[in-house]
Amino acid sequence: MVTVSTRVDGDPSTRHGAEKRRKSPLGSRWTPYLFAAPAVIYLVVFQAFPLIQELRFSFTRTSLYTPNDNVWVGLANYLSVIGSSTFHQTVQVTIVYVVVCVVGAVGVGLGTALLLNGEFRGRGVARALMAIPWAAPAVAVALIATWMLNAQYGVVNRLLAAVGLAVPGGLILESPGRALPAILVTTIWELFPFCSVVMLAALQGVPQEVREAATMDGAGPWWSFRVVTWPVIRPTVDLLVLLMTIWSIRRFELIWLMTQGGPVGTTNTLVIDLYSTGFQLFDLGKAAAIGMVGLVVSLVVVIAGRFVSRRAEQEVSR
Amino acid sequence: MRKNPIGTTARVVGVLVALGLAVFPLYWMFVTSLTSDHNLFGNHVQLLPDLSRIGVYAHALVSQDVVRWLRNSLIIAAGTCLLSIGLAVPVGYALSRFSFRGKGSVALGLFLTQMLPEALLVVPLFAFFRTLGLIDSLPGLILADTAFVLPIVAFILKGAIDGIPRELEEAARVDGCRPLDVLTRINLPLIAPSVAAGAVIAFFSGWNEYVFAVTFVSDPSKQPASVGVASFIGELSTPTQTLMAVALMYTLPAVVFYLIAQRHVVAGMTAGGVKG
Amino acid sequence: MKWTKTSTAIAIAGAVGMALAGCSGGSSTGGSSTSGAPVTLRFAAVTLTEAGRGPALKAWLQEFNDSQNKIKVVPDGIPFATFAQTVLTQMGAGSGPDLIRFDISTFEQAAASNLLAPLDSMIDASKYDLIKGPDSYNIVNGKRYGFSFDTTSYALIYNKDLISTPPTTFDELLATAKAATKNGVYGMAFRQTAAEEPGMMQDLFNYVYGYGGDFGDGHKLTLNSPKVVQGLEAYQKLYDANVIPKGASAATYRQMFGQNKVAINIDNGGVPSILLGENPNLHLGAAPDPFPVKAQGGILTPLAINAASPHQAEAATFIKWMLEPANQVKLQQIMGAESVATHTTRSAAELAKAPYLKVFDDLVATAKPQLINGFAAKTPDIDKIIVDQVLSALQGQQTMQAAMDKAQQLATAVVSG
Repeated sequence: MVTVSTRVDGDPSTRHGAEKRRKSPLGSRWTPYLFAAPAVIYLVVFQAFPLIQELRFSFTRTSLYTPNDNVWVGLANYLSVIGSSTFHQTVQVTIVYVVVCVVGAVGVGLGTALLLNGEFRGRGVARALMAIPWAAPAVAVALIATWMLNAQYGVVNRLLAAVGLAVPGGLILESPGRALPAILVTTIWELFPFCSVVMLAALQGVPQEVREAATMDGAGPWWSFRVVTWPVIRPTVDLLVLLMTIWSIRRFELIWLMTQGGPVGTTNTLVIDLYSTGFQLFDLGKAAAIGMVGLVVSLVVVIAGRFVSRRAEQEVSR
Repeated sequence: MRKNPIGTTARVVGVLVALGLAVFPLYWMFVTSLTSDHNLFGNHVQLLPDLSRIGVYAHALVSQDVVRWLRNSLIIAAGTCLLSIGLAVPVGYALSRFSFRGKGSVALGLFLTQMLPEALLVVPLFAFFRTLGLIDSLPGLILADTAFVLPIVAFILKGAIDGIPRELEEAARVDGCRPLDVLTRINLPLIAPSVAAGAVIAFFSGWNEYVFAVTFVSDPSKQPASVGVASFIGELSTPTQTLMAVALMYTLPAVVFYLIAQRHVVAGMTAGGVKG
Repeated sequence: MKWTKTSTAIAIAGAVGMALAGCSGGSSTGGSSTSGAPVTLRFAAVTLTEAGRGPALKAWLQEFNDSQNKIKVVPDGIPFATFAQTVLTQMGAGSGPDLIRFDISTFEQAAASNLLAPLDSMIDASKYDLIKGPDSYNIVNGKRYGFSFDTTSYALIYNKDLISTPPTTFDELLATAKAATKNGVYGMAFRQTAAEEPGMMQDLFNYVYGYGGDFGDGHKLTLNSPKVVQGLEAYQKLYDANVIPKGASAATYRQMFGQNKVAINIDNGGVPSILLGENPNLHLGAAPDPFPVKAQGGILTPLAINAASPHQAEAATFIKWMLEPANQVKLQQIMGAESVATHTTRSAAELAKAPYLKVFDDLVATAKPQLINGFAAKTPDIDKIIVDQVLSALQGQQTMQAAMDKAQQLATAVVSG
């Protein structure tokens, strides 16, 4: 933490010299740099330099056994990644995972935020409890989710059977068709509370009188949401979409501990692929190349997300 | 109109269903930890915990290093929390209040680093940390975890400072306050809720982190709970009940921490998140 | 050595960054040793994390510590799932534990990558009565890099309360498992999920070896050879017969076995002692795998010294202590139905109390390491390909033959590329 012990004395001579002070080199020109420097240096050291190292790896043949022994191979790792028969599937899984997570988490988050927004008894308790999944660590979530989804004794299978939706053999995480949906539900369960909390905060900015006035005028709830609420929370939704996108692309523990990317690659996102290539196949060069490709895919997804969100906004406000 | 009874009922039902879904997995962790082997692998679901089996918690606490894991996780989480806030406040302030050359690059850099997955940087970071003597050490994990959570905390705090009227600051400056004093005396108290929100996010990040912890630490006395709990998944025959008991003990401190901080978090997101 | 240079530069930058951030560096102390204190050796092993054998092994290490005052061995339990990652990341960067109990494929790779200290000059192997078969794998490119810590074969274990006589042929196995599957009991259990890829591969080896197959002939890959496919088809038949708890992890079905919910399991010699430790009333029997060929997978775990360790001589002293007959006997008792580096004789009392020990002991002679013959260096890649393809066959997406044809093609590309 930054602690400051300098005493401020109200020297009257500076009182009218504020303009001048701001132009003096020490007081103003360097100030923002001094403020930004610690974080920037920190990130350069702990993110940018390792990233550059990783970029170098991606052009070499490097094994986890001998990380100092880097044989320059040019684009070979990239060609091998992009040319691999599973690359298409990995990118597709990543995009599906990200898009569904974002839509699901933000959607459920918005829904629960609207539910919790009004005045009602026990609102405080409800708001607090609703956020619990966010606080649960991914490792613990993976454990309980795996147990709940267990084919023989899992409560989910018993519930599904009770309502006549039994899954053949109870296989969920072991089935190529059901593993990804199961992981998506788990992820959304873990993510939506964050969206809910942020959205709830944003909803405090909605002028209640205007909403009531709109309702009095006979406006339906949808119309009043669109005209009064949406414009206020819109920037928040944008921000959440961005955050959820980034976090979903990065997500690792949950998927790794539940399926390790299987079965048959159906939950193999780029991050899982990167990890298993680096730490199960010990191929650091190829893992680095997957990472770099992953960054490009992330950027594309983020930019596309921004674009879609803008378009959606134009549609809604029309 | 707002007293519409149908609407109220629908809302109550909706809230209850949502709450049920949110809390159920943790409840199920609790029930599973207190289920006999017979019922665990039986044909019927045991819906209520068998409280006579509560000894599984005491047993786990005594025999499974759980206390040490939790202590290490707490140190990592608290350290990540303090360091992230300490670094994020000034950079958030700089981004919010000043226009300077390279500001765009700093903001873009923050954004881009937020996109990096931990798994990508494990190996190069390991090499640096070894040079720094930070392997098998909790400070090492704090440093690594902070790097990945700092950007988001900085953005939240920038948003919060954006929301404070500049006039307050102008007045203070006119009174002769230096920039650092303006930040700590005028802005910091006003953005306290957002600091709390950032602190919660950073705390969770440190509390949950797994990839660095599993790679950088092999000394069992330094292992945090994430690695400890995950170590049960695999080839060993750890009873499911013990597993769930330990996982729940790992989850509860984070939940309690959230419940304590939650009022501020909502307020802090209001100030920070919206304008982000 | 750009790596080192960059690291140093970043170390300096990091120090500056931390100073600016006002970070004091945290509270925990490192492993600094003061002069005069004993040399501390870190001993890394998966077994140390286990519920039953872990504490016993720690007590055994403590006996070494108590036997002298110059060297202190500190146990370093690393979970199976992340062992290679954790240890190799550290060793690749020139640090890590001093003594490491490896699995055979990581060991071979680490030795070939010069991460391990050659032991010939430090320990005279001829002084010990080593078990030749497993011991031959401790020698890589003509140099000795390890001594067997424990070696275990796979065998069929069964619950005597559920099954009267163990099956001796595959058809009997299938019939017995089918008959036992009722009232919430499963006839058999094995690993069959991607989430347990390394474990599933270990299981597959039993079927392949048991049908006389091998994934490689020493020179080329034979993933789709008839005997391999036959073995894997046997595995698939059991999967399709709905006699196993599908999706259950090893930890879950081993617990189920202990609770009389699983009748048969083909598992390694460490498992009976774990199960009996948790369930003292379990009536466990063992028999050879009921497959046509008397060969099965075995787990070989050499103990090696990190080439980057500053205390290699002390680590060698520990290995010599380990190889002393009395300590070998104690180690074997801890490890269960496994053999150690040297020939040992179990007491009659021990064998009478646990007859299954003899079954496992006898099978060590025909146990083969779970390696892709001739392609040890590419074992992880090929394992992944095989598991992926077998899983897709289990899911009915293709026949086992087609799956292994595809695996052969993919794996050939990996080893040639």
